[in-house]
Amino acid sequence: MTRWKRFLIFLSVMGPGIITANIDNDASGITTYSVAGARFGYALLWTLIPTTVALVVIQEMIARMGVVTGKGLSDLIRENYGVKAAFFMMLGLLIANFGNTVANLAGWAASMEILGMSKYIMVPIGAISIWILVTKGSYRFVEKILLFACLLYFGYVISGFMAKPDWTPVLKSTLIPRIKWDSEYVMLSIAIIGTTITPWMQFYLQSSIAEKGIKKEHYKASRLDVIIGCFITDIISFFIIVTCGTLLFPQGIRIHEASEAALALKPLAGDYAYLIFSMSLANASLLGAIIVPLATAYYICEAMGWEAGVNKTFKEAPQFMWIYTMTIALASFVIMIPGAPLVFLMVLSAVINGLLLPFVLVYALLLVNDKKLMGEYTNPKSYNYISWGTIVTIIVLTTFLIITTFVPLNG
Amino acid sequence: MPFFSEVFSSEIIKKPVLDPVGEELGRVKDIMIVKGDPLPRISALIIEKKNKLFNLQWTDLNIFNKRIISSRVYIDNLQPYEFEEDDLLIVRDILDKQIVDANGAKVVRVNDIKLEGYNDNAVLIAVDVGMRGILRRLGVERGGEDFMRLFKRHLSYNLISWNYIQPLHPKLSEIALTVPRQMVSELHPADLAAIISQVSHKEGATFFKDLDVETAAEALSELEPDQQAAIITGMDTEQAADIIEEMPPDEAADIISDLPAEKAQEILGSLEKEDAEDIQELMGHEEDTAGGIMTNEYIAYSPEMTVKEASDRFKVNAKEVETVYYIYILDKDEKLIGVTSLRELLLAEPDCSLADIMETNLKTVPPGEDEMVVAEIISKYNLLALPVVDENGYMHGVVTVDDIIDVLLPPAAKRKRRRV
Repeated sequence: MTRWKRFLIFLSVMGPGIITANIDNDASGITTYSVAGARFGYALLWTLIPTTVALVVIQEMIARMGVVTGKGLSDLIRENYGVKAAFFMMLGLLIANFGNTVANLAGWAASMEILGMSKYIMVPIGAISIWILVTKGSYRFVEKILLFACLLYFGYVISGFMAKPDWTPVLKSTLIPRIKWDSEYVMLSIAIIGTTITPWMQFYLQSSIAEKGIKKEHYKASRLDVIIGCFITDIISFFIIVTCGTLLFPQGIRIHEASEAALALKPLAGDYAYLIFSMSLANASLLGAIIVPLATAYYICEAMGWEAGVNKTFKEAPQFMWIYTMTIALASFVIMIPGAPLVFLMVLSAVINGLLLPFVLVYALLLVNDKKLMGEYTNPKSYNYISWGTIVTIIVLTTFLIITTFVPLNG
Repeated sequence: MPFFSEVFSSEIIKKPVLDPVGEELGRVKDIMIVKGDPLPRISALIIEKKNKLFNLQWTDLNIFNKRIISSRVYIDNLQPYEFEEDDLLIVRDILDKQIVDANGAKVVRVNDIKLEGYNDNAVLIAVDVGMRGILRRLGVERGGEDFMRLFKRHLSYNLISWNYIQPLHPKLSEIALTVPRQMVSELHPADLAAIISQVSHKEGATFFKDLDVETAAEALSELEPDQQAAIITGMDTEQAADIIEEMPPDEAADIISDLPAEKAQEILGSLEKEDAEDIQELMGHEEDTAGGIMTNEYIAYSPEMTVKEASDRFKVNAKEVETVYYIYILDKDEKLIGVTSLRELLLAEPDCSLADIMETNLKTVPPGEDEMVVAEIISKYNLLALPVVDENGYMHGVVTVDDIIDVLLPPAAKRKRRRV
């Protein structure tokens, strides 16, 4: 058995749920966890448990919809709520995901700069390689690259252990919630939920499950895959917070970006931790930059009924190729403008994500309860209380986050 | 009621309907259509007033155009309406659904529907699948036109006549086609595969059921493994076995090895014994080796056979075999000793033996050889097929040039990328 073959077998076992979970921890996610760990130590670890629960509840419904209907979320919204709903949803997704792509390429640029490489060289190289990889590479090859990239996330777990935390307080903070009425604390705990549960990943998960053609009879396996994925997402987050909480927090080092965390780790934990942190950030950013623009172009074209496909030319699938290419090109361009309003763009993207999320979740919940679509697979009544509860909570929290973006709390 | 103009469904939906004294009866919620000759016609408008639905018959209308819709009846005369599965409704069942545009093998969405007057009726004349339809639905068709004029471009209409639309189901909730179903079998299997790979697995399977066994077998072998497995698993075993039997054994083996073990056993069980054995033998090889891509259907004769005998036998054997351009010569122990081409055979004197005309300087590969090495050899020696021979000289099969091309340049339907 060749080495690649073993990789491939491993990949076929790894399902959409697990891949989605990994991509969920992109540059902005890693930034949030690093900042949270450095600012509040282990104090925010407990938020990961309710976040995981909410993530499982939502992703399970999305996965179920993908399995039962065999269609993506954007298709279902278009078919059941019409072109207006789909159009505005997709417009929002396009803008938010442009912001996400900027964030990811910025993460890539920052990680390359701390490794001593100029962003004016590395951003174009990264962007062009992504574009070529996706449009010219074979699916198998891209799959291998993605799988390898997913494995690199494990670096954060290693760095967590290398930080040699005292596990008793870590576990205590994870299991016992502590609420502090400090504006930064509240904001960061909401940000952790906001960066974990994003609109685009719901579209991504449902499409990849629909695309895999998982049968209703195999739904249980798919559910397991999704639940494992949700745990992996938060286990990675856990170790990022633990690393920064163990090493940076006691020294009182404040950071605003994930790359600063890597730099700050260098004198404290040595070259390995620094390398792992910066390489993992580069990896996560690039992975996000591969997936987000591609996924966006797919959903939009499917909802609108435009030709889609990476191996098509600009003439065959104009909307698809232009959306995909321009997202990457513009995002790289923005990053390379000296003094570009990167922070503004990312805040804008977070706000639009926050505005979009309630609609996505409410549509998803309405669709999953549609007897005509789901037959006997609609939510059981008790489950609906949990789902609505989760969704309302998330909506309240993200609304709060949006409002405080414009009207900062006095703390 | 006479109706001469043409109108798009989006211009009607949500429009107020007036009663004879000019009061609002309600707003148009949906449009019910019934089968008609030659085209489906509107039978009633479903209107909504204070969250209640009413059925307003076409015959009760006296003005119907994009500006005014009025009826000759009052609200008290209207029948209440409840959504019925059996009704065919424009908004619920047709608008925003996918259709396959066979002209170009792509999947598009119904953005709008065009209605036209015909013998006092409004008939469904075409579906709009273009940008104009989307803009019209969003209420900015005019704006879009002006915008395009800035670039000296024209916003083109992209309508598909209803005549071409053949639903696979009475409703468009599933996929519909823009070619009559009888014509589907006339599409090239590779185009069929391209269409199937673009729709959901369930719809792909529906599509598949209508194909004859031969077309189905060819289209199936053009699809990516996941989809092949999904489609075969969805069929009943008999039907699946028929299709599998029709395929070359190497492709059949690839498909069966991707199936769940139980289903694979079932299918192998209902194949003819000989076919099943061929397939099982091929399944024993690693996927990306010579053994994994070879087929065990080939033409082989003994060295003593005369050219005349061989030609006669060839006419019988070649019907069943995919690649017939080489005739392999096997000795009594079934070991490969030579090869001759179809051309040599046709040009040779009828009474000389195959041993006289055969080429003995053979290019062969062992079953475990990597597929890329096989590709290199085939390319270097310009072969159409390469025999796979083990270390003892026994011939196991041939790798044909079309399998190698699939390795190097997978067909589009196989290459179709998931949203990674």
